[in-house]
Amino acid sequence: MARSFVTIALPKGKLLEDSLKVLTEVGIPCQDVSEESRKLIFPLPEAEVEIIICRPTDIPTFVEYGAADIGFVGKDTLLEQNKDVVELLDLGFGYCRFVVAMPEEKVPSKLPDGTYNLQELNNQRVATKFPRVAEEFFTEQGMQVFPIKLHGNIELAPRVGLAEMIVDIVSTGKTLRQNKLVEVAPMLESTTRFIANRVSYRMKYERINDLVEKLRQSL
Amino acid sequence: MKRTSLGLKTPGGMKDLLPEELMALEQGEEKILSLFQNWAYQKVLTPTLEYGACIQPLEEEENPFLKLFDRQGHVLILRPELTTPIARMVNTRMRSSVFPLRLCYGADVFRYSPSYGHEFRQLGVELIGSPSPVADAEVIALAVEALQEVGREDFQISLGHMGIFTGFMNELNLTKEFRGKYEEMLGRKDYVGIERLVRGENFESKVEETLLKFPHLHGKEEMLQEVLTLSEEPSIKNAVESLRQVYSYLQDFGVQEYVSLDLGILRGFSYYTGVVFEGYVPGVGFPVVEGGRYDALYEEFGDDHPATGFAINLKALVEQTPVSEVISADVLVYGDDLGKVIQEGQKLRQGGQRVEISLEPMTASEAEKLAEEKGIQRIQQV
Repeated sequence: MARSFVTIALPKGKLLEDSLKVLTEVGIPCQDVSEESRKLIFPLPEAEVEIIICRPTDIPTFVEYGAADIGFVGKDTLLEQNKDVVELLDLGFGYCRFVVAMPEEKVPSKLPDGTYNLQELNNQRVATKFPRVAEEFFTEQGMQVFPIKLHGNIELAPRVGLAEMIVDIVSTGKTLRQNKLVEVAPMLESTTRFIANRVSYRMKYERINDLVEKLRQSL
Repeated sequence: MKRTSLGLKTPGGMKDLLPEELMALEQGEEKILSLFQNWAYQKVLTPTLEYGACIQPLEEEENPFLKLFDRQGHVLILRPELTTPIARMVNTRMRSSVFPLRLCYGADVFRYSPSYGHEFRQLGVELIGSPSPVADAEVIALAVEALQEVGREDFQISLGHMGIFTGFMNELNLTKEFRGKYEEMLGRKDYVGIERLVRGENFESKVEETLLKFPHLHGKEEMLQEVLTLSEEPSIKNAVESLRQVYSYLQDFGVQEYVSLDLGILRGFSYYTGVVFEGYVPGVGFPVVEGGRYDALYEEFGDDHPATGFAINLKALVEQTPVSEVISADVLVYGDDLGKVIQEGQKLRQGGQRVEISLEPMTASEAEKLAEEKGIQRIQQV
């Protein structure tokens, strides 16, 4: 295996287009890479690159095991999975925020400083794709809650009584409004990150570092 | 009584080893341990169970140990590594030894680890009682030769030094809070987080540069020169000098080409105090060799000894090597008179052959068929 050759894992879905754009800008010709083609592996021998396309939540796993040397993945996924990977660069795109939200009619009372009194939500159920992030946030507030892990359509949970509130990522807040949910606390922000396998980062340092520097300049 | 479905499984993270798998491990182990012995390391073994008080004096928040209680209610830990138990053993049972003492081991260790199972084989060495950089170079050279011994060529050892990191942390006069966050992010290899943390602090530019550069300081010997331009602090100079000496002795051992310097290698802020190193092979996503100098551990068990060593994760190392077919016997002995079959079998075994005997009377064609199925080259009728 040549130390200049890298396998890059890219997330299918909304981050793919921006990911391909920045890679093209740094000289990796990925015009043929697309989700529509149904191919999962795209060899680009001239650029000494192989691109694989995976589910966003699987990217840290591919990279942790070294099946991919590097990957593009949202910070939200990284925070939730806590995998042993090297986080090298903030690529800036794919911005979103983690929030706590709940139905309008159930929001807690406000404190003198204008924020919601989260303590009223102790021991309630939180529907989320991110139980780890949620639990850590509430623990920091000195609270205990019961996270319920869901895989999609989180907004549905409080409407049918599965949970009192949700922890989810929002970019514009439109989905929350459509479902009559109100943000009661901001948590964290997330953007796409460039990650590397810890061994690849050492063994293929020159190549990976070169990519990082080029990406940093093109941002 | 039939076993339930639980009774048919092994506990999470625990695996059986079938003949082929075990053979690959044992061949690797035999080669590496005989290499260790050629370098005058004596093989020892500590017990599978240790008191929690030995392995882990202070209860941390989260740890990867497999624990149970003894009848008196003491916490017992299945050994997660052997460096600490060997320190206990040397400082209690081997105090009259002549130092420097060279010990080696091959043993199963236990940790809750998602990537390579909760039980895995470690081979390692400890060189106890010498502060010399030659001792560090010796164990690194031995790690290189161990990887070569099992047929590895395209591997890399990355070498760093804890003293350079601690030196910078002390010199820069950072708040405890900042230092805690920085170390935590460095441990998680969250370099984006580090950049944010450092830039958010309004440090003077030289401090900022040092803190940002540190995790990426990487290269051959000239990199150490760069470190010296970042600081005048005596403890850093000493650490750089000791790293330079180790690196230079690696040339005398003939292994320098396999070693890169990399100050981002900080082995988990555990017991390491001096040089630290990791070994990587392509296709394995985590280090297969981990080691370094730990000069403060022995004192915790009584006598103060500087020490250095490493451990190899054998399974990760040999996992990808192709396994030759396991052949159980050289010859199958069969016949109608089972007494004679037994006697002939014993005779051939004394002559050094691996012998399988038929357990029931057998015809020539049955014996041929069995031998073929089992890959036994020869059959012998009595």
